[in-house]
Amino acid sequence: MTIRALEKVSVGQNGIGAFILQCKRLDIHYCDHSGSSRGMNAFIKTHLSKFAQTHPAIEFAVSPRPRKHPVMIGHYINGRQKAICVANMEPSQILKKAELLRDASGDKVKRVNKPVTSINESVRGVWSPYHGNGMAV
Amino acid sequence: MSRSLLRTLLELRAPSTPRPAAQFKLPVRPLSTTPLRRNSPALSDSATTPNQNSAAASSIPTIPTEAAPLVAESRPPTSQAAEALYPRIPQQVNPSTNETQTTVAQLLPLLRTQPAHYLTAHIWGRPYLVTAGDQIRLPFKMPGVVPGDVLRLDRASTLGSRDFTLKGSPYIDERLFECRATVLGTETEPMRIKIKTKRRQRRNKQVRSKHHFTILRISEVKINGPEAVGL
Repeated sequence: MTIRALEKVSVGQNGIGAFILQCKRLDIHYCDHSGSSRGMNAFIKTHLSKFAQTHPAIEFAVSPRPRKHPVMIGHYINGRQKAICVANMEPSQILKKAELLRDASGDKVKRVNKPVTSINESVRGVWSPYHGNGMAV
Repeated sequence: MSRSLLRTLLELRAPSTPRPAAQFKLPVRPLSTTPLRRNSPALSDSATTPNQNSAAASSIPTIPTEAAPLVAESRPPTSQAAEALYPRIPQQVNPSTNETQTTVAQLLPLLRTQPAHYLTAHIWGRPYLVTAGDQIRLPFKMPGVVPGDVLRLDRASTLGSRDFTLKGSPYIDERLFECRATVLGTETEPMRIKIKTKRRQRRNKQVRSKHHFTILRISEVKINGPEAVGL
């Protein structure tokens, strides 16, 4: 007797039942001396604590990266990363970039033409000319 | 067991667990549906929406430009901000005839008993034919929402199952159904580069554009009986 795998009953879809934020970690790198990190240092002092408090699902890791531009790297559930260089930006601009990393799904960006994607079967089925009352010509 | 039979069984089972709120923000965030229930007198005295028989005779669906298509309901602390962004505009329901009332009272229970349902939800004037579990990529970035928010979509023009369809003129009475969508996040697209040329000029100009889109997931499609409109 051969071993048969169990048939999959359902497919997990985020947002049905539970919602899980796709961004799991945000690495924040800064430099103490470089001028390009001035906005990033101000962001860490003023905005970051409040932003981290409102997002308990994200792990924030702040670490220095001397003699380099400041960078924010988002790590996602699907294993991908998204990195943004925030050199010479104001703290408010950096906050917008942090929100962009939070909202992203981590997937590769691609053009989508159809607005609705579905894995469900068609509700009304496929039209057949051989059934029903026919069409008066 | 066939798949449709299983699905019918699952539908018949009473919902045991309440719908969880978004989990990444605050530990306890009750869904506040009470601010949604501000029925205007124009809503409460009108009976119901016309059914499929009268919809053919009704006017072509027109889209009111100022209609607020959805209500953010999962954030009680910022509900005032959400109401300022999306003010609640009560639905204008056309008075229905006796014939449509009887057909709704007779046929809507049959529509409810069929397992799968679809509806054409309208968000800012655009129709999206969705079933429960579908994902919508809106053609814009919706302001004032964060991932995990639950929106109630209250404008729909059609609502149906395999054999029955309820059509609105232009919209179905919002008390007849409950459709909720979860905000999944914001997606974007690869940078578009359009090269602009002018005649007899040696220079080309590159115009770059990159748009952002809000992603929604339809988490719930529920149809109420004709009792919801007093039939």
